Amino acid sequence: MKLTRPLLCLMAVGTVILILGTSRDTRAVPSYSRQTGMPCATCHFAPPELTPFGRKFKLDGYVLTTKPEVTDDKKDHNSGLRLLEAFPLSVVFDTSYTATKSPQPATQNGNFQFPQDVSLFLAGAWGSHVGSFAQVTYTAQGNHFSWDNTDVRYANTHDLFGKSLAYGITFNNNPTVEDLWNSTPAWGFPFTASNVSPTPAAKAIINGALAQDVAGFGGYTMWNEHLYIGSTIYRSQHLGGAQPNPGTGFGFNIRGLAPYWRVAWQTVTKNNSLQFGTYGMHVKSSPNAITGPTNGYTDWAFDFQYDRTIPQFKNDVLSFRGTYIRENSSLGATFAAGGASQLGHHLNTAQANLEYHYGTKLSGTAGLFNVAGTPDPLLYAQASVFGSANGDPRSNGYTLNVSWWPQQNIDLAVQYSGYLRFNGAQTNYDGAGRKAGGNNAVFLLARFVF
Amino acid sequence: MPRIFVHLVARAGVFVCLIGLALPVDVHAQSDVAKVYKTNCVLCHAADGSGNSSSGKALGAKDLASNEVQKKTDAELAEVIAKGKGKMPAFGAKLKPEDIKQLVAYIRAMPKK
Repeated sequence: MKLTRPLLCLMAVGTVILILGTSRDTRAVPSYSRQTGMPCATCHFAPPELTPFGRKFKLDGYVLTTKPEVTDDKKDHNSGLRLLEAFPLSVVFDTSYTATKSPQPATQNGNFQFPQDVSLFLAGAWGSHVGSFAQVTYTAQGNHFSWDNTDVRYANTHDLFGKSLAYGITFNNNPTVEDLWNSTPAWGFPFTASNVSPTPAAKAIINGALAQDVAGFGGYTMWNEHLYIGSTIYRSQHLGGAQPNPGTGFGFNIRGLAPYWRVAWQTVTKNNSLQFGTYGMHVKSSPNAITGPTNGYTDWAFDFQYDRTIPQFKNDVLSFRGTYIRENSSLGATFAAGGASQLGHHLNTAQANLEYHYGTKLSGTAGLFNVAGTPDPLLYAQASVFGSANGDPRSNGYTLNVSWWPQQNIDLAVQYSGYLRFNGAQTNYDGAGRKAGGNNAVFLLARFVF
Repeated sequence: MPRIFVHLVARAGVFVCLIGLALPVDVHAQSDVAKVYKTNCVLCHAADGSGNSSSGKALGAKDLASNEVQKKTDAELAEVIAKGKGKMPAFGAKLKPEDIKQLVAYIRAMPKK
Protein backbone atom coordinates (compact mmCIF):
# COMPACT_ATOMS: atom_id res chain seq x y z
CA MET A 1 0.00 0.00 0.00
CA LYS A 2 1.36 3.39 -0.95
CA LEU A 3 1.30 6.40 1.30
CA THR A 4 -1.56 8.08 -0.52
CA ARG A 5 -2.70 11.66 -0.01
CA PRO A 6 -6.09 10.68 1.50
CA LEU A 7 -4.35 8.45 3.99
CA LEU A 8 -1.92 11.21 4.95
CA CYS A 9 -4.83 13.60 5.43
CA LEU A 10 -6.60 11.01 7.56
CA MET A 11 -3.53 10.59 9.71
CA ALA A 12 -3.12 14.35 10.09
CA VAL A 13 -6.78 14.85 11.03
CA GLY A 14 -6.61 11.94 13.46
CA THR A 15 -3.52 13.36 15.06
CA VAL A 16 -5.08 16.81 15.49
CA ILE A 17 -8.22 15.27 17.00
CA LEU A 18 -6.04 13.27 19.34
CA ILE A 19 -4.21 16.42 20.45
CA LEU A 20 -7.36 18.45 20.91
CA GLY A 21 -8.94 15.62 22.79
CA THR A 22 -6.13 15.11 25.20
CA SER A 23 -3.88 18.10 25.54
CA ARG A 24 -6.20 20.56 27.21
CA ASP A 25 -6.36 18.65 30.45
CA THR A 26 -2.97 17.08 30.29
CA ARG A 27 -0.97 18.29 33.25
CA ALA A 28 1.11 15.18 33.54
CA VAL A 29 4.87 15.22 33.54
CA PRO A 30 7.37 12.40 33.88
CA SER A 31 8.73 11.42 37.23
CA TYR A 32 12.02 13.33 37.04
CA SER A 33 10.05 16.47 36.40
CA ARG A 34 7.68 15.67 39.26
CA GLN A 35 10.65 14.97 41.52
CA THR A 36 12.59 18.14 40.72
CA GLY A 37 9.68 20.49 40.14
CA MET A 38 11.35 21.52 36.90
CA PRO A 39 9.92 21.36 33.39
CA CYS A 40 11.20 18.79 30.90
CA ALA A 41 13.05 21.57 29.06
CA THR A 42 15.42 22.10 31.98
CA CYS A 43 17.02 18.70 31.36
CA HIS A 44 16.23 18.26 27.67
CA PHE A 45 16.65 20.42 24.59
CA ALA A 46 14.09 17.92 23.33
CA PRO A 47 13.87 14.46 24.91
CA PRO A 48 16.09 12.50 25.05
CA GLU A 49 18.73 15.15 24.28
CA LEU A 50 20.27 16.31 27.52
CA THR A 51 21.13 19.88 28.39
CA PRO A 52 24.19 20.53 30.61
CA PHE A 53 21.79 20.47 33.58
CA GLY A 54 20.32 17.15 32.46
CA ARG A 55 23.79 15.64 32.13
CA LYS A 56 24.67 16.77 35.64
CA PHE A 57 21.39 15.40 36.99
CA LYS A 58 22.22 12.02 35.46
CA LEU A 59 25.86 12.20 36.56
CA ASP A 60 24.69 12.84 40.13
CA GLY A 61 22.50 9.75 40.12
CA TYR A 62 19.05 11.19 39.30
CA VAL A 63 18.62 12.19 42.95
CA LEU A 64 17.97 15.93 42.99
CA THR A 65 14.55 16.60 44.42
CA THR A 66 12.61 19.60 45.57
CA LYS A 67 9.57 17.64 46.70
CA PRO A 68 8.60 16.23 50.09
CA GLU A 69 10.37 13.11 51.27
CA VAL A 70 9.97 10.62 54.06
CA THR A 71 13.15 11.17 56.03
CA ASP A 72 14.93 9.91 59.08
CA ASP A 73 18.31 11.19 60.19
CA LYS A 74 21.34 9.00 60.58
CA LYS A 75 22.06 8.78 64.28
CA ASP A 76 24.20 6.55 66.49
CA HIS A 77 23.84 3.03 65.15
CA ASN A 78 20.80 3.83 63.02
CA SER A 79 20.65 4.27 59.28
CA GLY A 80 19.05 7.31 57.72
CA LEU A 81 16.22 7.39 55.20
CA ARG A 82 15.31 9.58 52.25
CA LEU A 83 12.33 8.31 50.34
CA LEU A 84 10.29 10.18 47.76
CA GLU A 85 6.72 10.60 48.86
CA ALA A 86 5.61 10.31 45.24
CA PHE A 87 6.43 7.00 43.57
CA PRO A 88 8.65 7.84 40.57
CA LEU A 89 6.64 6.19 37.82
CA SER A 90 6.26 7.49 34.27
CA VAL A 91 4.63 6.26 31.09
CA VAL A 92 5.47 6.70 27.43
CA PHE A 93 2.85 5.80 24.86
CA ASP A 94 3.93 5.63 21.20
CA THR A 95 1.63 5.17 18.25
CA SER A 96 3.01 5.22 14.74
CA TYR A 97 2.54 4.75 11.04
CA THR A 98 5.24 3.46 8.68
CA ALA A 99 5.21 3.19 4.91
CA THR A 100 8.15 2.09 2.78
CA LYS A 101 8.52 3.13 -0.84
CA SER A 102 8.26 -0.50 -1.96
CA PRO A 103 6.27 -2.95 0.10
CA GLN A 104 8.08 -5.88 1.64
CA PRO A 105 7.12 -8.99 -0.33
CA ALA A 106 3.88 -10.64 0.74
CA THR A 107 3.20 -7.99 3.37
CA GLN A 108 0.82 -5.08 3.60
CA ASN A 109 2.49 -1.70 3.32
CA GLY A 110 1.35 1.23 5.42
CA ASN A 111 1.75 -0.15 8.90
CA PHE A 112 -0.34 1.49 11.60
CA GLN A 113 0.55 0.54 15.17
CA PHE A 114 -1.64 1.55 18.07
CA PRO A 115 0.38 1.34 20.15
CA GLN A 116 3.82 0.83 18.63
CA ASP A 117 5.05 0.46 22.16
CA VAL A 118 4.26 1.49 25.71
CA SER A 119 7.00 2.00 28.28
CA LEU A 120 6.80 2.18 32.03
CA PHE A 121 9.67 3.91 33.81
CA LEU A 122 10.85 3.63 37.36
CA ALA A 123 12.83 6.82 37.11
CA GLY A 124 13.87 8.80 40.12
CA ALA A 125 15.69 8.90 43.42
CA TRP A 126 15.81 5.72 45.49
CA GLY A 127 17.67 7.47 48.29
CA SER A 128 20.28 10.12 48.99
CA HIS A 129 22.80 8.85 46.46
CA VAL A 130 21.01 6.15 44.47
CA GLY A 131 18.64 6.66 41.59
CA SER A 132 17.42 4.96 38.49
CA PHE A 133 16.33 5.08 34.93
CA ALA A 134 14.61 1.72 34.57
CA GLN A 135 12.30 0.96 31.67
CA VAL A 136 10.01 -1.91 30.73
CA THR A 137 8.39 -1.80 27.33
CA TYR A 138 5.39 -3.43 25.75
CA THR A 139 5.73 -3.83 22.00
CA ALA A 140 2.80 -4.56 19.75
CA GLN A 141 4.93 -6.90 17.66
CA GLY A 142 5.98 -9.02 20.63
CA ASN A 143 2.65 -8.52 22.39
CA HIS A 144 4.33 -8.55 25.79
CA PHE A 145 6.30 -6.41 28.18
CA SER A 146 10.05 -6.85 28.25
CA TRP A 147 12.85 -5.30 30.24
CA ASP A 148 14.27 -2.29 28.37
CA ASN A 149 17.09 0.20 28.95
CA THR A 150 18.10 0.35 32.57
CA ASP A 151 20.68 2.39 34.45
CA VAL A 152 20.73 2.22 38.23
CA ARG A 153 23.48 4.28 39.77
CA TYR A 154 25.10 5.37 42.98
CA ALA A 155 26.71 8.81 42.81
CA ASN A 156 28.55 11.18 45.07
CA THR A 157 30.80 14.22 44.88
CA HIS A 158 34.01 15.31 46.53
CA ASP A 159 36.88 17.65 45.80
CA LEU A 160 40.11 16.59 44.16
CA PHE A 161 43.01 19.04 43.74
CA GLY A 162 40.63 21.83 44.64
CA LYS A 163 38.17 20.94 41.88
CA SER A 164 34.89 19.06 42.00
CA LEU A 165 34.97 15.33 41.51
CA ALA A 166 31.72 13.56 40.76
CA TYR A 167 31.90 9.79 40.74
CA GLY A 168 29.57 6.86 40.76
CA ILE A 169 28.75 3.27 40.09
CA THR A 170 26.36 2.09 37.43
CA PHE A 171 24.46 -1.13 36.87
CA ASN A 172 23.08 -1.17 33.35
CA ASN A 173 22.08 -3.44 30.49
CA ASN A 174 23.16 -1.65 27.33
CA PRO A 175 26.67 -0.40 26.52
CA THR A 176 26.55 3.44 26.21
CA VAL A 177 23.18 3.74 27.99
CA GLU A 178 25.19 5.12 30.93
CA ASP A 179 26.66 7.86 28.74
CA LEU A 180 25.81 11.54 29.20
CA TRP A 181 25.81 12.69 25.60
CA ASN A 182 23.66 12.09 22.53
CA SER A 183 26.52 11.25 20.22
CA THR A 184 26.90 7.63 21.35
CA PRO A 185 24.62 4.78 20.17
CA ALA A 186 22.11 4.27 23.00
CA TRP A 187 20.90 7.88 23.01
CA GLY A 188 21.98 8.92 19.53
CA PHE A 189 19.98 10.10 16.52
CA PRO A 190 17.48 9.03 15.30
CA PHE A 191 15.85 9.30 18.71
CA THR A 192 12.76 7.49 17.50
CA ALA A 193 12.49 5.02 14.67
CA SER A 194 10.13 2.66 12.96
CA ASN A 195 10.33 -0.93 14.12
CA VAL A 196 8.99 -2.36 10.87
CA SER A 197 11.01 -0.81 8.04
CA PRO A 198 14.14 -2.70 6.87
CA THR A 199 17.53 -1.55 8.18
CA PRO A 200 21.01 -2.46 6.90
CA ALA A 201 22.41 -5.86 7.88
CA ALA A 202 25.84 -4.70 9.08
CA LYS A 203 26.05 -3.07 12.48
CA ALA A 204 28.94 -2.64 14.94
CA ILE A 205 28.49 -4.63 18.13
CA ILE A 206 28.56 -1.48 20.29
CA ASN A 207 25.84 0.01 18.12
CA GLY A 208 22.96 -1.77 19.82
CA ALA A 209 23.74 -5.44 19.22
CA LEU A 210 24.01 -6.12 22.96
CA ALA A 211 21.21 -3.84 24.12
CA GLN A 212 19.17 -5.48 26.90
CA ASP A 213 21.13 -8.70 26.35
CA VAL A 214 23.85 -8.00 28.91
CA ALA A 215 24.31 -7.11 32.56
CA GLY A 216 26.97 -4.53 33.31
CA PHE A 217 28.68 -3.16 36.39
CA GLY A 218 30.85 -0.09 36.08
CA GLY A 219 32.21 3.09 37.51
CA TYR A 220 32.60 6.63 36.26
CA THR A 221 34.00 9.93 37.31
CA MET A 222 33.87 13.55 36.14
CA TRP A 223 36.64 15.83 37.32
CA ASN A 224 36.33 19.60 37.32
CA GLU A 225 33.19 19.23 35.17
CA HIS A 226 35.51 18.70 32.22
CA LEU A 227 37.08 15.26 32.17
CA TYR A 228 34.78 12.25 32.16
CA ILE A 229 36.13 8.71 32.50
CA GLY A 230 33.99 5.62 32.70
CA SER A 231 34.33 1.90 32.39
CA THR A 232 31.84 -0.96 32.62
CA ILE A 233 32.29 -4.70 32.43
CA TYR A 234 29.55 -6.80 30.85
CA ARG A 235 28.39 -10.40 30.93
CA SER A 236 25.59 -11.93 28.89
CA GLN A 237 22.17 -11.93 30.43
CA HIS A 238 19.57 -13.13 27.97
CA LEU A 239 16.04 -12.01 28.72
CA GLY A 240 13.83 -15.08 28.70
CA GLY A 241 16.84 -17.37 28.58
CA ALA A 242 17.65 -20.14 31.01
CA GLN A 243 19.78 -19.39 34.06
CA PRO A 244 22.64 -20.29 34.33
CA ASN A 245 23.18 -19.42 30.68
CA PRO A 246 23.59 -22.48 28.42
CA GLY A 247 24.22 -20.20 25.44
CA THR A 248 21.89 -21.95 23.03
CA GLY A 249 19.60 -19.81 20.95
CA PHE A 250 21.53 -16.58 21.41
CA GLY A 251 23.95 -14.99 18.96
CA PHE A 252 26.20 -13.44 21.56
CA ASN A 253 27.44 -15.27 24.64
CA ILE A 254 30.17 -13.22 26.23
CA ARG A 255 33.17 -15.28 27.24
CA GLY A 256 34.87 -13.89 30.31
CA LEU A 257 34.22 -10.18 30.67
CA ALA A 258 33.49 -7.64 27.97
CA PRO A 259 34.98 -4.27 28.94
CA TYR A 260 33.52 -0.97 27.77
CA TRP A 261 35.47 2.24 28.16
CA ARG A 262 34.71 5.92 27.80
CA VAL A 263 36.80 9.09 27.99
CA ALA A 264 35.34 12.49 27.15
CA TRP A 265 36.24 16.13 27.57
CA GLN A 266 33.55 18.78 27.82
CA THR A 267 33.49 22.49 28.23
CA VAL A 268 30.37 24.50 28.92
CA THR A 269 29.81 28.24 28.77
CA LYS A 270 26.55 30.16 28.99
CA ASN A 271 25.69 29.60 25.33
CA ASN A 272 28.02 26.81 24.25
CA SER A 273 28.50 23.19 25.17
CA LEU A 274 31.23 21.19 23.48
CA GLN A 275 32.23 17.59 24.01
CA PHE A 276 34.57 15.27 22.23
CA GLY A 277 35.69 11.87 23.30
CA THR A 278 36.34 8.25 22.63
CA TYR A 279 34.60 5.04 23.63
CA GLY A 280 34.88 1.42 22.76
CA MET A 281 34.37 -2.15 23.70
CA HIS A 282 35.97 -5.55 23.41
CA VAL A 283 33.79 -8.64 23.24
CA LYS A 284 34.75 -12.27 22.96
CA SER A 285 31.66 -14.28 22.21
CA SER A 286 30.57 -17.74 21.16
CA PRO A 287 27.34 -17.86 19.15
CA ASN A 288 24.79 -20.39 20.43
CA ALA A 289 27.31 -21.91 22.83
CA ILE A 290 29.43 -21.18 25.87
CA THR A 291 32.39 -23.29 24.83
CA GLY A 292 34.33 -23.85 21.64
CA PRO A 293 35.54 -21.35 19.07
CA THR A 294 34.92 -17.66 19.68
CA ASN A 295 34.31 -14.48 17.75
CA GLY A 296 36.28 -11.48 18.89
CA TYR A 297 35.13 -7.90 18.33
CA THR A 298 36.98 -4.71 19.21
CA ASP A 299 35.23 -1.40 18.62
CA TRP A 300 37.11 1.89 18.76
CA ALA A 301 34.95 4.95 18.48
CA PHE A 302 35.22 8.73 18.53
CA ASP A 303 32.40 11.17 19.03
CA PHE A 304 31.64 14.84 19.43
CA GLN A 305 28.70 17.03 20.33
CA TYR A 306 28.28 20.78 20.10
CA ASP A 307 25.22 22.66 21.32
CA ARG A 308 24.98 26.35 20.60
CA THR A 309 22.34 28.51 22.25
CA ILE A 310 21.52 31.52 20.09
CA PRO A 311 20.39 34.48 22.25
CA GLN A 312 19.53 36.54 19.14
CA PHE A 313 16.92 33.90 18.24
CA LYS A 314 15.21 33.70 21.63
CA ASN A 315 17.64 31.03 22.85
CA ASP A 316 16.99 28.56 20.05
CA VAL A 317 19.59 25.82 20.09
CA LEU A 318 21.67 24.42 17.26
CA SER A 319 23.13 20.96 17.89
CA PHE A 320 25.77 19.16 15.88
CA ARG A 321 26.75 15.60 16.76
CA GLY A 322 28.71 12.79 15.24
CA THR A 323 30.47 9.52 15.82
CA TYR A 324 32.82 7.20 14.01
CA ILE A 325 33.12 3.53 15.00
CA ARG A 326 35.84 1.23 13.76
CA GLU A 327 35.17 -2.43 14.43
CA ASN A 328 37.83 -5.09 13.97
CA SER A 329 36.60 -8.63 14.30
CA SER A 330 38.03 -12.09 14.16
CA LEU A 331 35.16 -14.49 13.55
CA GLY A 332 36.67 -17.84 14.51
CA ALA A 333 33.38 -19.40 15.58
CA THR A 334 31.34 -18.14 12.64
CA PHE A 335 34.09 -19.17 10.22
CA ALA A 336 34.25 -22.67 11.72
CA ALA A 337 30.47 -22.97 11.36
CA GLY A 338 30.64 -21.97 7.71
CA GLY A 339 29.05 -18.57 8.29
CA ALA A 340 32.01 -16.48 7.17
CA SER A 341 34.49 -16.92 4.34
CA GLN A 342 37.43 -15.48 6.30
CA LEU A 343 38.45 -14.80 9.87
CA GLY A 344 39.31 -11.10 9.84
CA HIS A 345 36.74 -8.38 9.14
CA HIS A 346 36.36 -4.71 9.78
CA LEU A 347 33.38 -2.40 9.77
CA ASN A 348 33.44 1.39 9.67
CA THR A 349 30.40 3.32 10.79
CA ALA A 350 30.13 7.10 10.48
CA GLN A 351 27.13 9.15 11.56
CA ALA A 352 26.55 12.88 11.88
CA ASN A 353 23.49 15.02 12.38
CA LEU A 354 22.57 18.66 12.64
CA GLU A 355 19.51 19.78 14.58
CA TYR A 356 17.81 23.11 15.06
CA HIS A 357 15.60 23.54 18.12
CA TYR A 358 12.99 26.23 17.64
CA GLY A 359 12.49 26.83 21.34
CA THR A 360 11.08 23.72 22.91
CA LYS A 361 8.23 23.62 20.41
CA LEU A 362 9.81 22.40 17.22
CA SER A 363 12.99 20.71 16.13
CA GLY A 364 14.30 19.70 12.73
CA THR A 365 17.16 17.25 12.25
CA ALA A 366 19.13 16.10 9.24
CA GLY A 367 21.43 13.12 9.68
CA LEU A 368 23.79 11.22 7.41
CA PHE A 369 25.15 7.74 7.91
CA ASN A 370 27.61 5.49 6.16
CA VAL A 371 28.56 1.88 6.88
CA ALA A 372 31.36 0.13 5.01
CA GLY A 373 33.50 -2.91 5.67
CA THR A 374 34.96 -6.17 4.54
CA PRO A 375 32.82 -7.90 1.90
CA ASP A 376 31.91 -11.48 2.78
CA PRO A 377 29.23 -13.39 0.81
CA LEU A 378 28.69 -15.82 3.68
CA LEU A 379 28.50 -13.32 6.51
CA TYR A 380 26.26 -10.96 4.53
CA ALA A 381 24.39 -13.69 2.70
CA GLN A 382 21.82 -13.26 -0.01
CA ALA A 383 18.24 -13.02 1.21
CA SER A 384 15.16 -11.18 0.10
CA VAL A 385 14.94 -7.60 1.44
CA PHE A 386 17.34 -8.06 4.37
CA GLY A 387 20.29 -9.79 2.64
CA SER A 388 23.02 -8.82 0.22
CA ALA A 389 23.50 -10.29 -3.25
CA ASN A 390 27.16 -9.30 -3.42
CA GLY A 391 28.15 -9.80 0.23
CA ASP A 392 29.07 -6.16 0.60
CA PRO A 393 27.97 -4.52 3.87
CA ARG A 394 28.07 -0.98 2.46
CA SER A 395 25.02 1.13 3.20
CA ASN A 396 24.55 4.86 3.30
CA GLY A 397 21.78 7.36 3.37
CA TYR A 398 20.09 10.07 5.37
CA THR A 399 17.41 10.61 7.97
CA LEU A 400 15.26 13.72 8.22
CA ASN A 401 13.11 14.33 11.25
CA VAL A 402 10.74 17.09 12.29
CA SER A 403 9.30 16.95 15.78
CA TRP A 404 6.56 19.22 17.03
CA TRP A 405 6.05 19.48 20.76
CA PRO A 406 2.65 21.13 21.39
CA GLN A 407 3.46 20.43 25.02
CA GLN A 408 6.80 19.41 26.42
CA ASN A 409 5.47 15.90 27.01
CA ILE A 410 3.89 15.32 23.59
CA ASP A 411 6.01 14.62 20.54
CA LEU A 412 4.46 14.52 17.08
CA ALA A 413 7.16 13.53 14.64
CA VAL A 414 7.53 13.02 10.92
CA GLN A 415 10.62 11.15 9.85
CA TYR A 416 11.94 10.18 6.44
CA SER A 417 14.76 7.67 6.01
CA GLY A 418 16.40 7.52 2.59
CA TYR A 419 18.92 4.97 1.37
CA LEU A 420 21.41 5.69 -1.41
CA ARG A 421 22.95 2.26 -0.99
CA PHE A 422 21.62 -0.69 0.98
CA ASN A 423 23.55 -3.87 1.80
CA GLY A 424 26.09 -3.27 -0.93
CA ALA A 425 24.20 -1.89 -3.91
CA GLN A 426 21.81 0.73 -5.21
CA THR A 427 19.76 -1.62 -7.37
CA ASN A 428 18.96 -5.30 -7.01
CA TYR A 429 20.92 -5.34 -3.75
CA ASP A 430 19.18 -8.50 -2.51
CA GLY A 431 19.28 -10.45 -5.77
CA ALA A 432 15.49 -10.31 -5.89
CA GLY A 433 15.28 -7.03 -7.74
CA ARG A 434 14.81 -4.69 -4.79
CA LYS A 435 16.32 -1.22 -4.95
CA ALA A 436 17.99 0.53 -2.02
CA GLY A 437 15.47 3.33 -2.42
CA GLY A 438 12.66 0.80 -2.01
CA ASN A 439 13.42 0.85 1.71
CA ASN A 440 12.97 4.60 1.97
CA ALA A 441 10.43 5.03 4.70
CA VAL A 442 8.02 7.61 6.03
CA PHE A 443 7.48 7.28 9.76
CA LEU A 444 4.83 9.22 11.66
CA LEU A 445 4.93 9.14 15.42
CA ALA A 446 2.71 10.43 18.20
CA ARG A 447 4.40 10.10 21.58
CA PHE A 448 2.75 10.90 24.87
CA VAL A 449 4.87 11.09 28.02
CA PHE A 450 3.19 11.37 31.37
CA MET B 1 43.16 -7.57 21.14
CA PRO B 2 45.83 -8.37 23.76
CA ARG B 3 44.39 -10.24 26.74
CA ILE B 4 46.43 -8.06 29.10
CA PHE B 5 44.59 -4.97 27.85
CA VAL B 6 41.19 -6.56 28.42
CA HIS B 7 42.17 -7.47 31.95
CA LEU B 8 43.58 -4.01 32.60
CA VAL B 9 40.38 -2.27 31.48
CA ALA B 10 38.21 -4.73 33.42
CA ARG B 11 40.29 -4.32 36.56
CA ALA B 12 40.36 -0.56 36.19
CA GLY B 13 36.56 -0.60 36.10
CA VAL B 14 36.36 -2.73 39.22
CA PHE B 15 38.95 -0.51 40.91
CA VAL B 16 36.97 2.66 40.17
CA CYS B 17 33.85 0.98 41.57
CA LEU B 18 35.58 -0.19 44.73
CA ILE B 19 37.08 3.25 45.31
CA GLY B 20 33.60 4.69 45.00
CA LEU B 21 32.24 2.23 47.52
CA ALA B 22 35.16 2.67 49.86
CA LEU B 23 34.93 6.44 50.04
CA PRO B 24 32.88 7.44 53.02
CA VAL B 25 29.82 9.49 52.26
CA ASP B 26 31.09 12.38 54.31
CA VAL B 27 34.84 12.68 54.02
CA HIS B 28 34.76 16.14 55.50
CA ALA B 29 32.94 16.90 58.65
CA GLN B 30 30.08 18.98 57.34
CA SER B 31 27.59 21.05 59.20
CA ASP B 32 23.94 20.33 58.56
CA VAL B 33 23.50 23.46 56.52
CA ALA B 34 26.55 22.61 54.41
CA LYS B 35 24.97 19.25 53.65
CA VAL B 36 21.69 20.91 52.77
CA TYR B 37 23.55 23.29 50.46
CA LYS B 38 25.52 20.45 48.88
CA THR B 39 22.44 18.31 48.32
CA ASN B 40 20.19 20.99 46.90
CA CYS B 41 22.18 23.95 45.61
CA VAL B 42 25.59 22.83 44.37
CA LEU B 43 24.27 21.37 41.13
CA CYS B 44 23.62 24.88 39.81
CA HIS B 45 25.29 27.35 42.17
CA ALA B 46 28.56 25.36 42.56
CA ALA B 47 30.30 24.62 45.83
CA ASP B 48 31.52 28.22 46.17
CA GLY B 49 28.18 29.76 45.27
CA SER B 50 29.56 31.31 42.11
CA GLY B 51 27.10 29.61 39.74
CA ASN B 52 30.15 28.54 37.81
CA SER B 53 29.08 24.90 37.40
CA SER B 54 28.34 23.61 33.90
CA SER B 55 24.62 23.47 34.57
CA GLY B 56 24.72 26.81 36.41
CA LYS B 57 26.37 28.50 33.43
CA ALA B 58 23.84 27.06 31.03
CA LEU B 59 20.90 28.08 33.21
CA GLY B 60 22.34 31.45 34.19
CA ALA B 61 22.44 30.63 37.91
CA LYS B 62 23.16 33.62 40.14
CA ASP B 63 26.46 34.16 41.90
CA LEU B 64 25.28 33.97 45.50
CA ALA B 65 28.08 36.25 46.70
CA SER B 66 27.24 38.96 44.17
CA ASN B 67 25.72 42.29 45.16
CA GLU B 68 22.58 41.41 43.24
CA VAL B 69 21.93 38.52 45.62
CA GLN B 70 23.45 39.92 48.78
CA LYS B 71 21.46 43.15 48.65
CA LYS B 72 18.23 41.18 49.05
CA THR B 73 16.76 40.99 52.52
CA ASP B 74 16.73 37.72 54.42
CA ALA B 75 13.01 37.46 53.83
CA GLU B 76 13.46 37.94 50.10
CA LEU B 77 16.16 35.27 49.92
CA ALA B 78 14.06 32.88 51.95
CA GLU B 79 11.14 33.49 49.62
CA VAL B 80 13.21 32.74 46.52
CA ILE B 81 14.40 29.48 48.09
CA ALA B 82 10.93 28.49 49.19
CA LYS B 83 8.94 29.56 46.15
CA GLY B 84 11.55 29.53 43.40
CA LYS B 85 12.16 32.21 40.82
CA GLY B 86 12.76 32.05 37.09
CA LYS B 87 14.44 28.73 36.34
CA MET B 88 15.10 28.01 40.00
CA PRO B 89 12.62 25.50 41.39
CA ALA B 90 10.79 25.95 44.68
CA PHE B 91 12.28 24.09 47.64
CA GLY B 92 9.59 25.07 50.12
CA ALA B 93 7.86 21.71 49.95
CA LYS B 94 11.06 19.86 50.81
CA LEU B 95 13.09 22.09 53.12
CA LYS B 96 11.91 23.03 56.56
CA PRO B 97 11.69 26.76 57.41
CA GLU B 98 14.63 26.24 59.75
CA ASP B 99 16.73 24.77 56.91
CA ILE B 100 15.86 27.73 54.69
CA LYS B 101 16.78 30.16 57.45
CA GLN B 102 20.14 28.45 57.87
CA LEU B 103 20.67 28.47 54.10
CA VAL B 104 20.13 32.22 54.03
CA ALA B 105 22.76 32.59 56.74
CA TYR B 106 25.06 30.27 54.78
CA ILE B 107 24.65 32.46 51.70
CA ARG B 108 25.30 35.58 53.76
CA ALA B 109 28.57 34.07 54.96
CA MET B 110 29.91 33.57 51.46
CA PRO B 111 32.91 35.80 50.69
CA LYS B 112 31.68 39.05 49.14
CA LYS B 113 32.80 40.10 45.67
